[in-house]
Amino acid sequence: MIANEESLRRLMRLSQTGDKQAYAVLLEQCGRWLGRYFRQKIAADAIDDLVQETLISLHRKRASYDPARPFLPWLAAIARYRWVDRLRQGYRNHAEALEHNDVSEDSHEEVVAARISIDRLLDLIPDAQATAIRCVKIEGLSITETCQRTGQSEALVKVNIHRGLKKLSVLVESE
Amino acid sequence: MKQGFDIASLVDELEPVRPLRIGRAILAVGAIVVSAMALIILSRGVRADVMAGEPDPMFLIRGGLLLLLGSGCGWAVLGMASPSVGKPAQAWKMAIAAAALVPLAALVVAMTGRTEVAMANMLYGLDCMASSGIGALAVAVPMVLWLRRGAPTSPERAGWLTGVASGGLGAFAYGLHCPFNDLVYIGLWYSLAVGICAVLGRLVVPKLIRW
Repeated sequence: MIANEESLRRLMRLSQTGDKQAYAVLLEQCGRWLGRYFRQKIAADAIDDLVQETLISLHRKRASYDPARPFLPWLAAIARYRWVDRLRQGYRNHAEALEHNDVSEDSHEEVVAARISIDRLLDLIPDAQATAIRCVKIEGLSITETCQRTGQSEALVKVNIHRGLKKLSVLVESE
Repeated sequence: MKQGFDIASLVDELEPVRPLRIGRAILAVGAIVVSAMALIILSRGVRADVMAGEPDPMFLIRGGLLLLLGSGCGWAVLGMASPSVGKPAQAWKMAIAAAALVPLAALVVAMTGRTEVAMANMLYGLDCMASSGIGALAVAVPMVLWLRRGAPTSPERAGWLTGVASGGLGAFAYGLHCPFNDLVYIGLWYSLAVGICAVLGRLVVPKLIRW
């Protein structure tokens, strides 16, 4: 079952009041949602760690959720922050290509998911920077391999990664 | 999987929390600004034209722009504690653009050679800048505490904006006393005060934010 915005929001509200049963369900559902959210956006063997880091941030920062606002955009902001932070740490690994990304199933949820997705975030920075980040930080190619694939010089790849990550870090809440 | 990670342990640690409400933070910042204004009035006195009930137009424009700058950036800072994709605050950009007119206009006037007042009152200018800075420090405290409780996704921007907001509000409070109406003086010393606060905010605030 894929949890929807309304049920997650209700669970989060209950969690803020200290309801442990609701919180356990919320963390479990969020863990699944985050697993799909990060799929293909980071090396496959790094997804579990990133999901856990994001759940710990959710736990520590749960007071920052405003119950009057939608839940998933809040969770996505934290997830994006954690993702950019992970990329900035210089993580490099080969990602396994997966065929589909089923963050949610129904059409309304798909629209919301598209607006808050990591792909949308990458669309906000210049193509050359997004490509360099995808190649080196997500797919785990070397700088040399990235140069061959993109036609960018070695220095340009490095500059594009640096500038792109810097831009991403200030665009986390943009859609 | 990370060693030792267990959802059950997070559940066990769960305690009720009060969701962050921006209204409480605004009240705290507002109370500090009002206190700073009261301290300035009690310790340094109010400008003569304000006391006489005939404030100079430049005083009103300066105060209005500083208040706009401080409140616009302050609103953005406080909002950053509760992140959400699709909710990036933009009002601070307008506030900074509006306030930037003062140093730009001052630069134009200074290039025409009308710098006597600013040059003849360097010591007052330094005092103006230092007093604004002290006020800014007080205003920055509740902002930083709020950010530490929240989840700002761009700590660097939060730092810049905390500096600009607190600098603007600190200078606004001090402006009740500052007797100068000269554009170059205001453009130089008030811009320096806000600019220095912004740089300090960028350097210090991100280090104080904990995730």
